[in-house]
Amino acid sequence: MDELVKLVRTYRLTNVLTDRAQLAEDIFRLIAPELTLFVFKAVRPPVAEDVLQEVLKAIVSSLQSFSGATGREFWGWCYRIARNKINDQYRAQASERLQPMPPEELWGLVESSAEAAPLAAGERLDLEYAMKLLAGSKPECGEYLWKHYVLGLDYGEVAEEQNVNYDAARMKIGRCLDEVRKLMA
Amino acid sequence: MPPEPTNAEAALTKLGQRVRAGWARQHPVSERSLETVRSTVRQSWEQEQKVKRARTTTPKPPSKGKGKGQGLEPEV
Repeated sequence: MDELVKLVRTYRLTNVLTDRAQLAEDIFRLIAPELTLFVFKAVRPPVAEDVLQEVLKAIVSSLQSFSGATGREFWGWCYRIARNKINDQYRAQASERLQPMPPEELWGLVESSAEAAPLAAGERLDLEYAMKLLAGSKPECGEYLWKHYVLGLDYGEVAEEQNVNYDAARMKIGRCLDEVRKLMA
Repeated sequence: MPPEPTNAEAALTKLGQRVRAGWARQHPVSERSLETVRSTVRQSWEQEQKVKRARTTTPKPPSKGKGKGQGLEPEV
């Protein structure tokens, strides 16, 4: 069984406060990197930290009611909560929506990852190509490609994000990829 | 001209993995977030205990069922 789901199920069955706190912390440590990236790339840093805290509160206080059976469902559930909190923030401050991450910031993250796992031969060229694909995409396509490939959201999660159905999201991502690939050829 | 990369999808997937890994290294879990998690667990747990206590101390309303042991016998 997926590690995350196992932890969530154990959390739901545990009545001891200290055990619950530990389990919630373990769950959070597993989801933190992707969840914070999701929030921090949707809202500007000064408010992103506050939004993240709201997301955490909502997730932890609802853990008892999560009824899914897979890690994928749990991720979808977390992103849904995060999305709602981010939307609340946009309603409050419409001008806070972030622009795409600039290439130098992307490279900074790549370099950080390379400290733990050095870039393989030729990988830098692939990454440069990927960044060109993102930069060369039309804004709407760039958003789809960013969410699917960079944030790592699956088609279902992208569909929810973009308010379209699963197949529409999948086809849009495929079309965007084809389009920008031709542009770069 | 740069060498032909594996393909666009693989390159983007690789970039995503690198970006997420780099993000995780640059943004370790903050003490503030951990404290939010702990205090939310505590609050939820206290709320649950309150509800449980209320359930056990609230007297059950008299049953309206029929038959033996269903409130038809007079109290002794």
